[in-house]
Amino acid sequence: MTTAFTTVGTPVARAEGPDKVSGQTLYTADVDLPGMLWGKVLRSPFPHARIVNIDVSRAQEAPGVRAALTGRDIPPALVGRLLRDCPVLARDRVRFVGEKVAAVAADNPEAAQEALLLIDVEYEELPAVFDASEAMQASAPSLHPDIESYVGLPQPPSPMNNVFAHNRWGKGEVEQGFRESDRVFEHTFSAQLMHQGYIEPHACVVRVDDSGRVEMWVNNKAPFNLRSQLSAVWDIPENRITLHPISIGGDFGGKGSFMDTPLCYYLAIHSGRPVKMVMDYLQELMAANPRHPADIALKTGVKNDGTLLAREASVVFNSGAYGAFKPRVYLGGADHLGGAYQVPHVSIDSYMVYTNNVPCGHMRAPAKPQVHFAVESHMDMIAAELGLDPYEFRLRNVIRQGDETPTGGSWEEVRAEETIRRAAQASGWGQPKDRPNAGRGMAISDQPPGAGQSEASVAIDAEGKVEIRMALWDTGTGAHTMLRQVVAEELTVPVDDVRFTVQNTDAVAFDSGSGGSRVTYTAGQTALGAARDLKAKLVQQAAGLYETEKEYVTLQGGTFVIEGTPAQTVPITEVTARVISEPGNAIIGEMTYSATNSPVTSYCTQVAEVEVDPETGQVRVEKIVTVHDVGAIINPMTHQGQIEGGVIQGMGYALMEELVAEEGRISNLTLGDYKIPTMPDIPKLETVLLEPSTGPAPFQSKGIGESSNVPVAGAIANAVYDAVGARVTSLPITPEKVLRAIRERESNKP
Amino acid sequence: MKRHLNLTVNSEPRQILVEPYYSLLDMLRDELHLTGTKKGCDEGDCGACTVLLNGVPVTSCLVLAHSAHDAEVTTVEGLATREGLHPVQQAFAEYGGLQCGFCTPGLIMSAVGLLEKNFDPTEEEVRYAIGGNLCRCTGYTKVVQAIMAAAEQARP
Repeated sequence: MTTAFTTVGTPVARAEGPDKVSGQTLYTADVDLPGMLWGKVLRSPFPHARIVNIDVSRAQEAPGVRAALTGRDIPPALVGRLLRDCPVLARDRVRFVGEKVAAVAADNPEAAQEALLLIDVEYEELPAVFDASEAMQASAPSLHPDIESYVGLPQPPSPMNNVFAHNRWGKGEVEQGFRESDRVFEHTFSAQLMHQGYIEPHACVVRVDDSGRVEMWVNNKAPFNLRSQLSAVWDIPENRITLHPISIGGDFGGKGSFMDTPLCYYLAIHSGRPVKMVMDYLQELMAANPRHPADIALKTGVKNDGTLLAREASVVFNSGAYGAFKPRVYLGGADHLGGAYQVPHVSIDSYMVYTNNVPCGHMRAPAKPQVHFAVESHMDMIAAELGLDPYEFRLRNVIRQGDETPTGGSWEEVRAEETIRRAAQASGWGQPKDRPNAGRGMAISDQPPGAGQSEASVAIDAEGKVEIRMALWDTGTGAHTMLRQVVAEELTVPVDDVRFTVQNTDAVAFDSGSGGSRVTYTAGQTALGAARDLKAKLVQQAAGLYETEKEYVTLQGGTFVIEGTPAQTVPITEVTARVISEPGNAIIGEMTYSATNSPVTSYCTQVAEVEVDPETGQVRVEKIVTVHDVGAIINPMTHQGQIEGGVIQGMGYALMEELVAEEGRISNLTLGDYKIPTMPDIPKLETVLLEPSTGPAPFQSKGIGESSNVPVAGAIANAVYDAVGARVTSLPITPEKVLRAIRERESNKP
Repeated sequence: MKRHLNLTVNSEPRQILVEPYYSLLDMLRDELHLTGTKKGCDEGDCGACTVLLNGVPVTSCLVLAHSAHDAEVTTVEGLATREGLHPVQQAFAEYGGLQCGFCTPGLIMSAVGLLEKNFDPTEEEVRYAIGGNLCRCTGYTKVVQAIMAAAEQARP
């Protein structure tokens, strides 16, 4: 079925584009308030230590310094997105290198920085643990002895040492599955610590007025959640806190955390001035909230013909010193350890473990890149043992319409197989390669559109100009333009007549914010609902003006058609001009919406084509084919932008990006050492979009923000194996690891 | 001790007092309030702070403000004219060459720097010219498309 759309489906350039290209757009670090101070923090040099003494007296007396604080100067409340286990400033103990132990606010950044050098801290080092599996042993130091007192701890708490969340998923009887299997394969995988790599560091500006009202500018994509976290830790009502809208310079899951905001407030209170804090990139790489490293063990039972029967999986996430930086405590993507396959017997265990490393947070499709790297590598390793083509092996087992998912759920309109077939087709799967040491690798994953809550109003003025008002910050995806298209389509007006106004957090009750491939669905349906409400009101007004019933009035192409003999056509602007008499008045439609879980997901299969230098182990990605099971596409340009950015981020994850920690100390603390893909690294990219299917978002669309970054690492790992027979089971796939795998393969030759 | 600095910023002669240790980036942002130029890494790795110094793209975080004495500096705020946006700016907006926009001013200045000395670049030359600008959102494809389109339009 094809529906003719006017605005939906067109590559509308984003409205904020001209401001962004001319340097006019304001980001948090650009906010400048009268009398504003600069805040800086002193961080722990030790991964685990007792704070014996802190002396800030010399810093307090330094020129330009207006406040110098330690944990003793502020209330002891802990902060967290859900699990509240993180001190605003360390009091007695530090648990990672980079933990905040003291802070100053001064007239300018140099004075603040110099004052930090005048703070004396006496530490007594404690035994530390860095490896998550070691931390789970009873003999390891318990990093949070008071864990049972934490608000937000999953119940019942895990009895295992340092485990703050243990989740299980599955179905069937996995032991029975293994008994019925002809072959059982076991492999282990590991994935690294990765930074989200947004170019704009975390920043916040906090102003507290004489009555205690707090105004803030923060590059946080979920401001209502942040407000409630701050209300809890500051012990002031939410309605005393206002977050003002601001542009966010990249997110990728990293900008959902409170970061310096709880502390910035205390600097503002103690100095009596507004305070700005901007993390420098060294601090970003040392102490933000990166993607979790993971150790994954997979055991799979198969029939000789390649049919999957059983999967037992465990994943241990090295969560670092605190669990505070995750909105759900655990990582939901761990439930994907069964893959996109039909498996009758499944058992999955996921453990979130405290260690003396940087606390980890969310990154684009949390846990799924780790999980699908393991699952998809494992699939190819099994295929090799069984002598099956990896593509055929996937086709045999891929989840189909009516199948239960590995965790006992179900999806409507399952199109996983189609993505696999189209990926094979587009990549020339099975055809000879045009050069030696070249290989192709395939991987599949899925990402459903996320649910959330949102609130919108859509107003039309006398001239027929439309304004969408929502408290939704844009992280850079183009969400506001997508929403303008949705509203323009519904009201049958040109998209240029629809503008988007970002409201502050006082304007509405709640908005879930950006993330989880949620915005097109949740915010989209909210804006659409408000537009429908407005349309109904306009139709009612038109019916009144032309003395008919609303049933006889329709809106088409910006014009009311009023049935009768003869039928009349009346432009929207004539109705709005007649009904809205006072300038500045408007007719307003409203919607408060809470999305339910999507009945459909979205599959993505990718094929990577690589060339490996067998002398150096260097992997060059030549091409990536990415195939997506999509719904209707509201804006093809921003949709494609998400796909391209995600694939390249996935490639960085696969090949080059790792925060290298030695005993908890990250050693690559610049973007020169922590390498993210640059222009010369970019391979050819071919995107295949399946014929639009249904989706829960407006006009049968779906989200696209996360899916393309998930399968890349698995596809590249499998391509490297295909190219030179070297199997690398830990990310990133560095030349050293490839070379080692090549040598191992050669030494194992009979 | 702050010292006098004379330079031209976006075609406007300026005389300002600046600390000797200030970078050109900090001088632009904190003294002249030209915040269009972005501070990402502050170490010359990300390219978000790229400006033109006497027509040549430089990472302004690595240039001391006082070494720009008597020089001509162009920032992203100085590209548009009364007639509208610079063709490179226009193309970035039109072709989806930006998402979050934080790296965009730097990318645009690198592209403008290229097109000022080479108005007919190959795609390879464009890729090379922006090799020092990190962008995490776009994956670069649409950035290259935008610069190629701008070159096409700007060609005499």
